[in-house]
Amino acid sequence: MKGWVMLNKTILVCDDDEGILDMLEIVLEDAGYHVIVVSNSLKIYEAIDKQKPDLVLLDLWMPVLSGDQVLRTLRKNPETDKLPVIIISASREGKHIADEAGANGFIAKPFDLDQLVNDVQKLAS
Amino acid sequence: MKIILYLKKNFSTTLDNFNKGEFSFSEGTIEQDLNLLVRALNASISGIILTDNRQPDNPIIYCNSAFEKISGYKRRDIIGHNCRFLQKDDRNQRQRLQLREAIEKGISCVVEIRNYKKDGTLFWNELYMSPIKDEKGNVNYFIGVQNDITRRKKAELELRSNNELMERRIEERTQSLKESEDYLASIVQTVRESLIVLDKDFRVLSVNEHFLKVFKVNKEETEGKMLYDLGNRQWDIPLLRELLENILPTNNPVEEFEVEHDFPHIGKKLMLLNAHRIELEGQFKDRILLAIEDITDRREIERRKDDFLSIASHELKTPLTTIKGYVQMMQRIIPKDAEEKFRSLLNKTSVYIERLNHLIAELLDVSKIQTGNIELHKEVFDFDKMVHETVEHIQSATKTHQIVVKGSATNSFSGDESNIIQVVNNLLSNAIKYSPDEKEVVVYLSKVSDYLKLSVTDFGMGISMENQKRIFERFYRVGEIQQQFPGMGIGLYVCEQVIKNHGGSLWVESEPGKGSTFSFTLPLNERVGNAE
Ligand SMILES: Cc1cc2nc3c(=O)[nH]c(=O)nc-3n(C[C@H](O)[C@H](O)[C@H](O)COP(=O)(O)O)c2cc1C
Repeated sequence: MKGWVMLNKTILVCDDDEGILDMLEIVLEDAGYHVIVVSNSLKIYEAIDKQKPDLVLLDLWMPVLSGDQVLRTLRKNPETDKLPVIIISASREGKHIADEAGANGFIAKPFDLDQLVNDVQKLAS
Repeated sequence: MKIILYLKKNFSTTLDNFNKGEFSFSEGTIEQDLNLLVRALNASISGIILTDNRQPDNPIIYCNSAFEKISGYKRRDIIGHNCRFLQKDDRNQRQRLQLREAIEKGISCVVEIRNYKKDGTLFWNELYMSPIKDEKGNVNYFIGVQNDITRRKKAELELRSNNELMERRIEERTQSLKESEDYLASIVQTVRESLIVLDKDFRVLSVNEHFLKVFKVNKEETEGKMLYDLGNRQWDIPLLRELLENILPTNNPVEEFEVEHDFPHIGKKLMLLNAHRIELEGQFKDRILLAIEDITDRREIERRKDDFLSIASHELKTPLTTIKGYVQMMQRIIPKDAEEKFRSLLNKTSVYIERLNHLIAELLDVSKIQTGNIELHKEVFDFDKMVHETVEHIQSATKTHQIVVKGSATNSFSGDESNIIQVVNNLLSNAIKYSPDEKEVVVYLSKVSDYLKLSVTDFGMGISMENQKRIFERFYRVGEIQQQFPGMGIGLYVCEQVIKNHGGSLWVESEPGKGSTFSFTLPLNERVGNAE
């Protein structure tokens, strides 16, 4: 109920780990967002195209196509070059990779829920 | 001896002028004069240091080259320290109390005190110490002039002992030297490390069996040749040349120099070089022993271990993230009328999740540090602000202690902020943990010469001399110490490495029962740190 009233925003979450996807979906829906999850990074462009998310949460280490590769491609496309993207990663070097690829934010795993929701709120407005 | 005395006398008159406020530079040429003065100080054969008496515990803010030479420490291990580090654990000396009294009263004194070089060698230090006062008579600085009088002391002592006994000893020694030479030769031939002996012009005098085997060469094409001409000139590297050529004049060994090269016969290898000056009394001097170790495989294994740990820690963190998320979620949606027990169990669970997270991170850090693969992401940041924020963060989670921050260091420092935050965090949480019955922890920030200094002081149980060394070891947490300092873990080891990687130094001073001060210095000027 509260979500429907407060926000009408769509968040796309892309992570190769089903556990994380599941958890983020629950958490973000609880915070009032509409959530789409993608576990195969190759499918992310199609999902963005169709669902027009307001923000993307992107894992860094994913098989085949890594988060920073996805991000670079998004930044080259005029349709998505301004789309807010937050990189999430368990590796400490992640922040630098994220900055270089042009991310709007970085969250280290394991993250704090309040912090996550906070960052998402800031960027998805 | 005369020269020393003369210098000293000169110094004290200069100082006296300083004290009377007569010491001045001609306006336009201040910089030139200063340069000249610094050069003069560096040319002195006496060690000279200045300490800042206005800062806690009289840290050293200047030392000349002779002081580095006499003590064997590098500048970065000197600036910011109290000079007592030269006493190591030989602390029960009458002279120490004399110094203490003179400092308290703000007067000068001369003592002969037992001091120790970095490598542990004893030297007798003739120390002349004097206050520098401002117009109002406040002692702002102290100056110390050190002379290594070990030779004189030794001579005095030796004179006292029986001549005959000495002669016999010498005879015995020559005999045993001869024996040990044969003994050494056989070791040299069997040791599993490549060894080359060079003369002062870098001509190869001899090599051992292992060298021939590793590089697949024979004696004829090696001995008598110039080092740099060997193979495909693999050792002809400008930096290595410079280091090697410095060994004899300065007596500075070359340590852990890595050479990666495509060698003839054996291909691409990673070699680790160590070189020292060697001398055998009465037989030869000015020779260089070069030891070469093939670390190609070892490095590869280390790299794989790092990769493995990287992946493992990443994999471990992924489910941990999920668990943490769910627990926090539960804490949020916990019903208002839930039992207190339920609430407390959830809180406990999250504490242990944090602990596990910490352990995983540390595991990776240590592995990386061990193999020297820690990456520094240097950026300019506001050091003082970082410290205040870190303190606030810890303070917000601490009810037992008040953390007081005094002084200031700098608002612009170039380094890896997250690594340094980790160090400050670690020192603070240790200070709190090991002073359970106290209420205060003091953080002191300052600038000493071209270094910044941070000290964390607690007034808790303190650490004995013996344990002070051990707490920096990697896995010291065995047995007794583990019981005394549980959970200090690999933290301090990691801290020390982080600070070293930035070109600084980290150390502890402590008295059991009174508390401990952990301090570190970091070079403000990048050049200083890298000039290692
Ligand atoms: C300018 C100056 C130079 C000093 N030089 C030395 C030194 O070369 N060797 C030494 O053992 N102590 C030296 N000290 C003394 C120690 O720093 C320290 O004051 C002394 O050990 C007494 O204090 P403590 O009992 O707290 O250790 C020096 C002190 C000052 C102020």
